[in-house]
Formats: sequence, structure tokens, C-alpha cells
Amino acid sequence: MGIRQTLDNLEPHFHKGGKYEKFYPLFEAVDTIFYAPPDVAKTTAHVRDGIDLKRIMITVWLCTFPAMLFGMWNAGWLANAAIADGFTSMDGWREAILMTLAGGHDPGSLWANLVLGATYFLPIYLVTFVVGGFWEVLFAIKRGHEVNEGFFVTSILYALILPATIPLWQVALGITFGVVIGKEIFGGTGKNFLNPALTGRAFLYFAYPAQISGDSVWVAADGFTGATALSIAFQDGMSALSSQFSWWDAFIGFIPGSLGEVSTLAILIGAAVLLWTKIASWRIMLGVFLGMVATSALFNLVGSDSNPMFAMPWYWHLVVGGFAFGMVFMATDPVSASMTNPGRLIFGALIGVMTVLIRVVNPAFPEGIMLAILFANLFAPLIDHFFVQANIKRRLRRTGVPAEETA
Amino acid sequence: MAQSNNSIKKILTVAFALSLVCAVIVSTAAVALRSKQQFNQELDRKTNILEVAQLYEPGMDVNETFASTITPRVVNLETGEYSEQHDPSTYEGFQARRDPASSRTLSGEKDPAGLTRVETYSTVYLVGDPDDPEQIILPIRGQGLWGLMRGFLSVEGDGNTIVGITYYEHSETPGLGGEVNNPRWQAQWEGKEIFDEQGELAPAIRLVKGGAEEKTEVDALSGATLTSRGVTNMLQFWLSPEGFGDYLARFREGTSQDDAQAADVELESEGA
Amino acid sequence: MSAASPKSVLTTPIFKNNPIALQILGICSALAVTTSMSVSLVMTLAVIFVTAFSNLFVSLIRHHIPSAIRIIVQMTIIASLVIVVDQILKAYAYEMSKQLSVFVGLIITNCIVMGRAEGFAMTNTPGLSFLDGIGNGIGYGFILMTVGFFRELFGSGSVFGFTVLQPVQDGGWYVPNGLLLLPPSAFFIIGLIIWVLRSVNPEQVEENEFKMKENTQPKEAV
Repeated sequence: MGIRQTLDNLEPHFHKGGKYEKFYPLFEAVDTIFYAPPDVAKTTAHVRDGIDLKRIMITVWLCTFPAMLFGMWNAGWLANAAIADGFTSMDGWREAILMTLAGGHDPGSLWANLVLGATYFLPIYLVTFVVGGFWEVLFAIKRGHEVNEGFFVTSILYALILPATIPLWQVALGITFGVVIGKEIFGGTGKNFLNPALTGRAFLYFAYPAQISGDSVWVAADGFTGATALSIAFQDGMSALSSQFSWWDAFIGFIPGSLGEVSTLAILIGAAVLLWTKIASWRIMLGVFLGMVATSALFNLVGSDSNPMFAMPWYWHLVVGGFAFGMVFMATDPVSASMTNPGRLIFGALIGVMTVLIRVVNPAFPEGIMLAILFANLFAPLIDHFFVQANIKRRLRRTGVPAEETA
Repeated sequence: MAQSNNSIKKILTVAFALSLVCAVIVSTAAVALRSKQQFNQELDRKTNILEVAQLYEPGMDVNETFASTITPRVVNLETGEYSEQHDPSTYEGFQARRDPASSRTLSGEKDPAGLTRVETYSTVYLVGDPDDPEQIILPIRGQGLWGLMRGFLSVEGDGNTIVGITYYEHSETPGLGGEVNNPRWQAQWEGKEIFDEQGELAPAIRLVKGGAEEKTEVDALSGATLTSRGVTNMLQFWLSPEGFGDYLARFREGTSQDDAQAADVELESEGA
Repeated sequence: MSAASPKSVLTTPIFKNNPIALQILGICSALAVTTSMSVSLVMTLAVIFVTAFSNLFVSLIRHHIPSAIRIIVQMTIIASLVIVVDQILKAYAYEMSKQLSVFVGLIITNCIVMGRAEGFAMTNTPGLSFLDGIGNGIGYGFILMTVGFFRELFGSGSVFGFTVLQPVQDGGWYVPNGLLLLPPSAFFIIGLIIWVLRSVNPEQVEENEFKMKENTQPKEAV
């Protein structure tokens, strides 16, 4: 019980009047990592369940691991393969670590790929965590509330949707924007209407497009251009895409892309856990999926001579770009999504439709899921409003008296 | 007070007096400043032309230099001949493109630059001796990613070697497509060639990704695939026989025979 | 209002009652023209000129304006002034007017100008109204210049056209922030300015439109 005792001994210093009164949120954060929080809900009806916010967040965090591990391997594999083909590696400390741990650029070696990938992913994640955590704690101290576990999830999701070669200072700027503008300004976790991880990425996307889009940022080898599957289809059409990658390549993740987005398979493993534990809403995922299928089918039907994206079938939309990742991890964010059950279906469908719409019709952005989710986030409260109002009306018709507590 | 202010008579008086005063002020300003404004517009256009010809230096007398070195001429795009119907100093091809009498519609394959309509006559600017110009400056335009891009292309007297390119109006993404205005990117156009050995009429010049090797290749704008494609399409159109192709062919024939004199005579007789 | 001193009329619109930051007026042009500081400055001067003189003229004839057509009268005065400004810019600052394009003309629709003419000049003496116009113009310009400063410095690495941070495209080290060259970035910057202003002057903070339930308030550190 050493930890409990140490914490209990320290606790008075953090209380009102104590030495470190201002840092109570930090203490609370550390305390609740180890033990159940001292405060439990006191008022209004609560469903008692073994799973609290912290456990929810940690489950989501764990669910990203398949995608994360595969993403690291993928980043290393692509870079090693390019280097084996005669491109120069990006020198520096990454090279040194790789040489020490794995001994060389061998695209056939699982270990060498994983190590090289990790030298890209881990710094990104570390920077995200430190910088984002700094803002989180700063606001918690300033406002006098607890540090929220939601940040765990935000940071890993944010790190997973960046390309491997992104400069670390941009990572820091992006997460700063995501946490401060996307969340804290509106009152912190629970009051943010936008997904902070996507807000951060959107910031980078518009601020530094050269480092986060295009063809040369995905593979960490000097001068190597490896277009993402999506941008190949966008520029050269479906036949060019299928000649370069098979559908299974894209499904398992042997394609260039953002770290966590490449493997649809690994993402679906995470999705299975999320759905089984009922942490993510199946309605949102279904809505996104159906919206995407319907819209892409429509575009397939309409067809176009000049725009090859019209011809992309739904099963390709599913495996290229960030679609799967966005559907499973981003759209289902409980804070920024719709809260009512029918609303979730509509919310999801809106994302699916907008994603394909942006991918196919927009001339500038090959990727659509990020903007589609942010767009749908804005509509989530409106969607909810209609279903809540409809519910109130239905109840009024049934009972004849207005309900005292609505929503 | 308020009563009398709101009488019909008062309302009409105030409205009339105010309109009169304002009308006088506005029209005075417009009339008094018109010549100055037109002078500015002219100056701006001339500066753009001098820039593409690489003759512009800050602080120079633009009008003086323009008048002494550059001769505008109106060209019939269909025949490639000079036209005397229009006054080159006032004719605006860009405005004429909407007039059905002096323009034609484009569609499908023939319209890579997304113009829909193109004028029949266009103004070119000749540097040096108009009969044996050092440079030929052609107005070009076409769709970029977000909208119409307008600029000038300057070609040497051989009708093939490029001197420079500028865009004075575009709405491309800053930092990506907007780099068409970056002097570093523009600098690599100098010395590039429009036509390769095989193609007689179809222009070969284009933007390529990742390292231009040929004389007819220019580095694309990094991260701006669609703007780069727009630039290529625009040049493909304006330098093809649909655009200035026929006109430029005269200069190329002239040099290939190495008989500039003959070309001059030919041009003169056609011009007249 | 009627007891306002000339000094307070001139200075309150800058921080205490800023037309953009507090009244959220004139946002549209603040988004469009703030990519560079020199353009923001010209726009500021144009708006100061128009607000000051439209206030002056409206105030001069305020006893003769029939209330039935007062908005049209104000509009006519403002529109005439704007056209004059536009013509002058085209004649004497052509480069600027090219960059400002339609936005000089759109000063007509700038709510600050109308708002001051209707809200202040109609009930105050010409002298005070003139000062009020200048003050509000400066308040508008203050936000414009601040936004312009950040957008130009971090978006293109320069201040008033002089390179401060050498961008990578020209062989330097600074990677320009493309977002700041897009109009929406002005929203973020104006928002942050409002945040700062309201932190300094807490009385500007608006009241909550709704009350949260007791137990959903963030818990105080105990």
C-alpha cells in the first residue's frame, strides 16, 4: 500500500490553503491513475457500472494499438524498401538508433521495419503528449478542474493521423491548436463541439499543406515520392490504382499513408473491441458506412469522363485514405458526436456522404473524412435538437401534459 | 420639428437636395480623376509586360521604356496574321471574348484550359523591331485550381525559346499553387523551348513532377498538382493552332530557313 | 451619450467599446483585407475617413433629416463618400486599390459606419460626431492592424512588406503558415484578441444565456 500512503501523505499539501493548492488537478490526475476517485456522483439518477470515464478512455487507447503497431511497421517498411531501392535515408539520430538496434535497412526484417517506424512514431507521440498535456494541465490549474482522461485518447488519435515525416514542431503547433482552440476555449472536455484531434490536424492541413499532403511526405526516404492510394486514384484513375495496389494490399495496409490509417484490418480489430464493449456507438459506424456506400454507388451510377474518382467503388473507399480510421475512432468520439440514438445514425450518414462528396467532387483535397467529420460535428447538436423535440412532442401527445424535465 | 420634417414636401426637398449634392460630388470626383486612373491601369499593364520581358527595373520610367521598346499588334488567332481592324493600343481581347461576333466557343478536347469562349483577335506585344522582334509577348489565361489565371508568356524571336512567364491575376492556394508568382519558380522558365523536334504544331512544353530533364519540361509546383496541370493546359492551348500556334509558326519558319529577311517581307505584306 | 466628453468619445472605441471586438461589427472586411499590413493600413484610413465624414455630415443635417427616410439619407451620404474614396485610391494608390479590390466599395455595407451614423451622429453635435467617427475608425483599424500584423508576420514572414522571417521558398528558414493567408484565420485571431480584451476588462464578458445545473458545474478545487 506504499502508493496509497504516499499519496495520502501528500494530499493535504494540495488542498485549499496547502502549499501546492494550485496544482491539485495534477495530484488528482496521478491519484486516479492508481485508485478509484474519492468523489462519486451524488445527485440525480446514475447507472452504476464498473466502467468509468477513465476505463473507457483506456480501452479506446488500447484499441488503437493494432493500428499503431501496424502503422509503425508500415512506416519502417516503406522507408526501408525505398532505401533498399537506392534512395538515401534521412540521416540523423534515427539512423543511429536503427543501426544500433537493427543493424541495417532490410525491408524483409520485421524488427528493422518496426524500429525505424518507431523512431518516427514515438517522437510524434511524445511531442503530442508533452505539449498537449502541458496545455491540458495549464487550463486545469487555471480553471480549477481535474485533468481529463480524454486527452489520452486525443493524443494517440492525433499522433496516428499524421504522416511519418512531419516536422515535430508542427506536431506541437497542431496539438496546441487542437487542444486550445478545439477544446479548452469552449470549456474543456465535454463542452467541445469539435473533435480536438481532427481540429489539430485540420490546422496543420491548411497551415502547412506541403508537409502533410502531396506525394512525398508519406515515405521517410529522401526524395522518394510515394503517392497515397487515394491520390493515385484521384490523379490517374482507378486502373492506375489497381495496377499499383491490390485491394488486399490496401485492406491489410501495404500502402503509404498516415501512420495509423494504412491498415483497415488493424483498425477493424480495434473496432470489434470497441463495439463488443459498447464503448463506441454502432449506430454512428453504421451510419458512416451506409452513407459512404450510398454516395459512392450514386457516383458510380452517374459516372464521369473527366473525373476518375466517380468510378471508385465503395469497397475501395473503405480501404483507402483515412476512412476506416475516421469511422471507427474519430466519428464515434462521444463528446462531439450526436447523443440521441436516431441522431447518431443521421450524424454518421452525414459523415459518410460528405466524405465521398469531398473525395470525389472537390478538386483540391483528395482526402475528405477529416473535413467531413468536423463538418458533421457542427451539426451534431442540431440533429439532436430535432430528435429531442420530436420526443417531447410524442410524449406530450401520449400523456397530454408537458414534461417538467426535458432532454 | 419632427412633424414638419416628415411632411411630404420636406421629404422631397431633402431627398432632392441631398441627391443633387452627392451626385455633384461623386461625378466631380469620377470625372476629375478618370484620366489619372486610366493612366494607372495602363501603367500596370505595361509594367506586367515589361516584367515578363525581363526589362523591368524598379524605379524606371515605365511609359518611356514601353513606348521605345514595345509595339502592340493585334493578331487574328485563326489565321495567325496581323489584323488592322483593331487599334492595338485600345483593343482588349479579354473583353471581346464575350461578344459572339468576335469570338468562338470551345468545347471538349479543344478546350483544355477550360475557357469556354475565346476571342478571335488577341493583342501581342513585340519587343524591339516589330518586323524582327527580339521577344513576342503573348497574353495567356486558363483555369487553375480555384479560378481563372491570367498572365503573359514571353517568347524569343525564334518563336520557340521562352524568356519568361508571369501571372498577374489568379486565386490559387497561397504557398502551393500561389507559388506561380514565386520568382524562383519563374526563373527556371528562361531558355525552355515550346516545341520539340518531332511535333510541328502541337506544343510540347509541360510541367513535370520531380525534376525536369528535357528542354520542353519545367518543374511542377510542389504540392499543387492541379494548378500545375492548369498551367500546362493553358500553355498547350494558347501555343497550339487554336491559340497563337499559327502566328508563332511564322517566326519558326523564318528562323528555320535562316532567312529573316524573307519572313519580314512575308509578314509585312500580310500585315498590310 | 449626450454627456460624452470629446476625449472619451475618441478613445473608448479603441479598447473599451471596440466596434469589432465588443460589438462584432465590420467583421467581413476584417477577414478579407488583413493578409498584409499595408493593405490593412489603407483600409483603416479609408474607413476612418468615411466614418468621420459621414458622421460629420449626418450630424450637420440631423435636424433636417425626415425620420421616414433617414436610413436612405445616411446611406446616400456614406455611399457618396465611399465612391469618392474608391476613386481617389484608384487614382493615387493604384496598387493598393487593386489589392483591396471590391472591399473599398464594400465599406458601404460596413456596419460600423451605418451604426455610428444612426446611433451617434443623429443625436450629437457635428464636432463630437466627427471625433466619434475617428475614434471608431481607429478602433476598427486597431483590430485590423493587429490581425494584419500576425497574419503577415507568420503567413508571409514580413511586416509592411519587409522580410523579417526569411521564408523557405526564398532560401530562408521560416516555414510560412498557409492558414494565416486564408480568410478564416482572421476569425481565430479576432477571437483570440477578444479573449485577451475580455480577460483584461471582465465587464465585457457577456452573461450566460442559460444556467447550468448546480451539480454539472466544474468542481472547485477542494
